[in-house]
Amino acid sequence: MENSNSYSPYSSSSVDSTKPSPSESSVNLSLSLTFPSTSSQRETSQDWPPIKPRLRDTLKSLRLRQRGYNTALFVKVYMEGVPIGRKLDLSTFSGYKSLLENLSHMFDTSVICGTRDSKNHVLTYQDKDGDWMMVGDIPWDMFLETVRRLKITRPERC
Amino acid sequence: MNYFPDEVIEHVFDFVTSHKDRHSISLVCKSWFKIERYSRQNVFIGNCYAINPERLLRRFPCFKSLTLKGKPHFADFNLVPHGWGGFVQPWIEALARSRVGLEELRLKRMVVTDESLELLSRSFVNFKSLVLVSCEGFSTDGLASIASNCRHLQDLDLQENEIDDHRGQWLSCFPETYTSLVTLNFACLEGETNLVALERLVARSPNLRSLKLNRAVPLDALARLMACAPQIVDLGVGSYEDEQDSESCLKLQAAIRKCTSLRSLSGFLEAAPHCLSAFHPVCHNLTSLNLSYAAEIHGSHLIKLIEHCKKLQRIGDKGLEVVASTCKELQELRVFPTDLQGGGNTAVTEDGLVAISAGCPKLHSILYFCQQMTNAALITVAKNCPNFIRFRLCILEPHKPDHVTSQPLDEGFGAIVQACKNLKRLSVSGLLTDQVFLYIGMYATELEMLSIAFAGDTDKGMLYVLNGCKKMRKLEIRDSPFGDAALLADVNKYETMRSLWMSSCEVTLGGCKRLARKAPWLNVEIINENDNNRMEENGYEGRQKVDKLYLYRTVVGTRVDAPPFVWIL
Repeated sequence: MENSNSYSPYSSSSVDSTKPSPSESSVNLSLSLTFPSTSSQRETSQDWPPIKPRLRDTLKSLRLRQRGYNTALFVKVYMEGVPIGRKLDLSTFSGYKSLLENLSHMFDTSVICGTRDSKNHVLTYQDKDGDWMMVGDIPWDMFLETVRRLKITRPERC
Repeated sequence: MNYFPDEVIEHVFDFVTSHKDRHSISLVCKSWFKIERYSRQNVFIGNCYAINPERLLRRFPCFKSLTLKGKPHFADFNLVPHGWGGFVQPWIEALARSRVGLEELRLKRMVVTDESLELLSRSFVNFKSLVLVSCEGFSTDGLASIASNCRHLQDLDLQENEIDDHRGQWLSCFPETYTSLVTLNFACLEGETNLVALERLVARSPNLRSLKLNRAVPLDALARLMACAPQIVDLGVGSYEDEQDSESCLKLQAAIRKCTSLRSLSGFLEAAPHCLSAFHPVCHNLTSLNLSYAAEIHGSHLIKLIEHCKKLQRIGDKGLEVVASTCKELQELRVFPTDLQGGGNTAVTEDGLVAISAGCPKLHSILYFCQQMTNAALITVAKNCPNFIRFRLCILEPHKPDHVTSQPLDEGFGAIVQACKNLKRLSVSGLLTDQVFLYIGMYATELEMLSIAFAGDTDKGMLYVLNGCKKMRKLEIRDSPFGDAALLADVNKYETMRSLWMSSCEVTLGGCKRLARKAPWLNVEIINENDNNRMEENGYEGRQKVDKLYLYRTVVGTRVDAPPFVWIL
């Protein structure tokens, strides 16, 4: 099959993060919530493989357990500048959206992924290598397996 | 046949029960049409938008059982947006206004509200059986209405529904005088269960045959329930957790030993492996074992359980080699992937499928998810099991070829359709060219439902299927390069089918419009979650690709309950 076939799993009809958009320049590093265009995106999206949602959730929790996690996945969450942190069970969220909603509610401010601006708190995480990364770049399942702690940064620090 | 009085003919017709046969006899002559009309007991409507309640009642004024299906199959996998349709309310309202003595209602993929359930419970005095499969839109309050008002209820069967659990007291709404329960399935309820009410209900239901519990029913409660209902035939177990309570385990074992009629086992949502052994005494009688949700049961415990099940006919699990060697009576099998992302070690490959096909000659239905497949394996499977009625193979990675030869899997699936002369349902996957569809069109003469994903090269593929499969009823296609030429080649074909679904294919808006013009007896729906209006403003609108197309034959024209994101041409 030629790679120009637009139905290969290596591109998505709605997001193509491999091509730079014309508006990007070296100064304006606007990140948006994109997933790498690999086949893993297709496989972890909600409509493939064709498994009913309830069964999918059950199988997911099995996989997490097999990899040594309890289904409860508590991580520490700190708001930059606030010494006392919170603890959050990430396994109760279905994805980034519900995580952000919950954090926004918990810390009583708007928390977002990715886009840096002067107004919003941006969510970052420490992965299993100890590096601090922007939340939202990798598929949710992968994120659950690598995240160790969360930090909500103050806007200007990014 | 006019020599017989109508009552005699009607009596003869009573023995004709299948929908297809009833339809056939109604076509023989006017007199038979009329007799059949008035004596029809069970009506099956595969697409709730193909007809409306008024016409149904005009044709069949005396039916007792109605089956209705709403959303297309791909709605199960989040491909149909919320609010698309499939509302049961207008049907129940119309039936309530009429004089139909409804006794049974079976709904699949429909939107059901508490209001609907309340109306249902109050409108039909002899209502006996409610079966809801993959439905949504209601809460336990609706169940409370059913429990309170349906004096003669026998079956309340809730399979895989999205139910808003208000943690209310719906179980205690069954009156104390109510003793006719035969089937109770509430496995899909997420919330707490009133165990006292449940136990009392089971204790006063001597006819109870099928009981499927939800997560919230723990081990000691299960033991008590089994003790009250030794006549049970079909059991869905709730939650076991890691029970240290050996006393409960012993009580359960004692109770289960008395359940000599038990033939079917499911559930095990959170199973403590050592409690599985409580079921060993009854395993040799089991003909059906569904462990799809038994995420906790690992290899050795599973194997032990299966080893005890010599008479299995239906099973869903992961211990395939053991299954192959012990379950000689196996007829249905479902194998789900534990690793959705692919990679890692996998126990489920083509070898498992070949082993099953070699060990279980009675196998006729399979749903099999795996990482990889080969043509050689499929050819062997076809030779071993020519009796497949349903063959659904899902290779997790789209476009994946034969992992040994790197060839498409055309030959493998070709062997399946050639050998399995009774094949009614087929799902294909992996790397596939137009060739596989040539084989399907040529050999799959009995095929009624075909699911295609990430397959084919050109319109020819789809055309082979449309031209070849004379009995096709439901065709669903996603992410495949079929376009307008295939869609429009034979418009009349769609009159012989229930529905066609195409998403992320090459069909354009212009093509769909042409189809709608040519076939006014079709509803051609464009489902567009993005801004629908953009499709019309765009200057090249004719060539704009349609994201989701769902078309179906209908005798009642455009439906009136379509949401804004559905555009009916």
